[in-house]
Amino acid sequence: MRFLVGIKDTLEETLSTLRIAAKIANGFSADISVIYIGNKPKEIMASEVAMVRKSLSDWQIYHPGLEVLHWAFNALKNFGFLAGDAPEFKPENLLEEKGRFRMILPEASGEKIRLILREGNLLDELKKETETRDYELAVIGASEDKRKIHKLIQFLDTSVLVVKNFQANLEYKVLLCVDDSRATRRAVIFGARTARHLDAEVEVITVSKRKDFGKGYLNAHKWALKYLRLQKIRHSASLVNGNPVDAFLKKAGRDHIIVMGKGTQNEFLKFFRGSKPIHTAQLADCPVLVVKPFDK
Amino acid sequence: MNDRTMRAFLYWVQEKRWLLIILMMGILLYWLPYPDSISVKGYRTFVISAMAISLIILEPIPLPATALLIAVLEVSFRIASPSEVARSYMSDSVFFIMGSLMMAVAIIHQGLDTRLAMGIIRITGNKVRNIVMGFTVISALLSSFIGEHTVAAMLLPVGLTLVRYASDKKPAPQLTAIILFSIAYGAIIGSIGTPSGGARNAIMIEYWKSATDSGQYLTYYQWMLMAYPLVIIQTVPAAILLGFVFKPEYKILDTPIRKLRVQVAKKGRITARESVAIGIFVLTLLSWVFFNERIGMGIIAISGAILYMATGLVEWKDISDGTNWGVILLFAGAISLGVQMKNAGTALWISQSIISLFGGLMSEIKFLPYLINIGMTTILGNIMSSSGTVAVLGPITLSMNANPLYMGMTTAIVSSFGYFSAFAAPACMIIYSSGLVKVSDFLRAGWRVGLMSILTTIFVIIFYWPLIIHLTNFK
Repeated sequence: MRFLVGIKDTLEETLSTLRIAAKIANGFSADISVIYIGNKPKEIMASEVAMVRKSLSDWQIYHPGLEVLHWAFNALKNFGFLAGDAPEFKPENLLEEKGRFRMILPEASGEKIRLILREGNLLDELKKETETRDYELAVIGASEDKRKIHKLIQFLDTSVLVVKNFQANLEYKVLLCVDDSRATRRAVIFGARTARHLDAEVEVITVSKRKDFGKGYLNAHKWALKYLRLQKIRHSASLVNGNPVDAFLKKAGRDHIIVMGKGTQNEFLKFFRGSKPIHTAQLADCPVLVVKPFDK
Repeated sequence: MNDRTMRAFLYWVQEKRWLLIILMMGILLYWLPYPDSISVKGYRTFVISAMAISLIILEPIPLPATALLIAVLEVSFRIASPSEVARSYMSDSVFFIMGSLMMAVAIIHQGLDTRLAMGIIRITGNKVRNIVMGFTVISALLSSFIGEHTVAAMLLPVGLTLVRYASDKKPAPQLTAIILFSIAYGAIIGSIGTPSGGARNAIMIEYWKSATDSGQYLTYYQWMLMAYPLVIIQTVPAAILLGFVFKPEYKILDTPIRKLRVQVAKKGRITARESVAIGIFVLTLLSWVFFNERIGMGIIAISGAILYMATGLVEWKDISDGTNWGVILLFAGAISLGVQMKNAGTALWISQSIISLFGGLMSEIKFLPYLINIGMTTILGNIMSSSGTVAVLGPITLSMNANPLYMGMTTAIVSSFGYFSAFAAPACMIIYSSGLVKVSDFLRAGWRVGLMSILTTIFVIIFYWPLIIHLTNFK
């Protein structure tokens, strides 16, 4: 399994993104590719900037993104994500390939971590990167730009974890949002594994806008509880009436990781109106994991 | 349509939204009733121009594709015949842009930056104030002859190495900013000094020839005579103004200078190869000054590039990899469009429309066309790029009711004042790409240096140009 972690700077929020990514990746025995997406120079000046970069590398002055990747590499080492024989980070080992730069990390654990540098628009470059390898999950820091979160969740062909306000010292619970969507079962499995690794309790919530609960909702809810019971994961459950997004947010507060399936709504309507997972990820004060269905 | 196809389609739509909007705008403009004051051909050229400008600014498709689209539309809209359009794509100015870019690659390839570093250290010593002045002056001096991005490429490693040595113990963001800005702003100021300072200058020379009724031609020397005093006037104040904006953490860089000296000293004495490289450039420069009228600046630039390759100083592969061929194509397309704007009467129509906005003021204030020119060019130059601005605005400003020589020169000079944004001038983009300066720094420093540059330009237009034209009697 492979996870893709998008970073843009060396701030505390980015460190949180890396920390949660490393924790979950450990739970799934997944590899991590860290991607830094920098500003792309205007096309009219692109070759001039490339020429300057070449001159600078002759003076051992490297792309600013490399510093960020180096920092991320060290952070992952400190989190214990890499074994003792972690490869050495050498800026001169940056290889240009397929419109991106990749750091060559020669030792065996170089397989466990990949460092990638791209330039351009965040969504475009993440999308291009997910097309080069089969990634299961993209982990990104939350953005103030709600439209950006919307696009990432709708257009990335992976599950997406939007990291907001993650605090390493807080005891998180997993809020598993269950409904009749195609991705729910997968979200339950993903959520359960995450909870097990974090040693967290799971709270299963199913919200109906109507007074009664449809058959699909109830079946999904029952299936989730059964699965958690079989997996011997501590859990509680609630069936709530009201607006689903409001209910999720109220329940989640800041000490939950919300896990939910990608919406089944028509893509066209989703583009203009959003969906439950999109609105939840935009408004939540805690990390939100939106899981893609089995067949994408 | 299944979900996956719909998602792919929606992604494409949101990716290409600007292209779709521009196409719709073009179709709408095309089907709107044409104004009586312009010919059908002229109006169609206007539609193409509006689309081309939008495509260049927003880059929804690769720039070379925009350049080729201009040719397709010119022929499809029956603005000119295929042969005419093909001819308008290649001129001495396009050769000049091509040759200059190739030479820039060849020069940077020689690693002369260490020599420059040594020169700067010798001149400036270790005081930060002097180092900033030294970077600005040397950057301006060099960029007037070899183009701003070449200079930025050679000086940035020197500047950043100094900053790195100075930031060993604690970060020095102000020092970093002042050194990087002195390189970029110096390069911008210098680039107005001669025709070889930037592609925009060559484009304007082409427009004088092809887009004015008199077929004006300005030699390399005449350009210098008109523009170089501005370089001299602006360089020192720019360095001083930067000192007001950024307060460096150190006043003296003793250890960093010593370390840099040790680093560059490892290269030893100047090699024969480096001497030949400098020799070829000096030869090219002298040819520009003395033979440009006879054989054209483009042919001289290309000869210089050939010499670099013939002497083995640079391989074709390096030139081919380092030259932005798409940009050459773009300028070729833009010049072609500019020529058609003049021929079809579009440039005149736009300039008359602008003039009519100001009514009687135009006849009362003789300097108003220049102020309008400066305003339009500064704004577009900071949104688009300096060369793109000249390519688009050149035919319009030359058609305004004022001296075409002054107007053209003003457009070429002011278009380079891309101080306010990180994305307008190559030198600014280059220092911004280092990741060490912020977009807001450009505004902070840019408005001061920009205002100073505009005021000195106005001074030169009013007092110096009439005087020099009177004294030398060139037209």
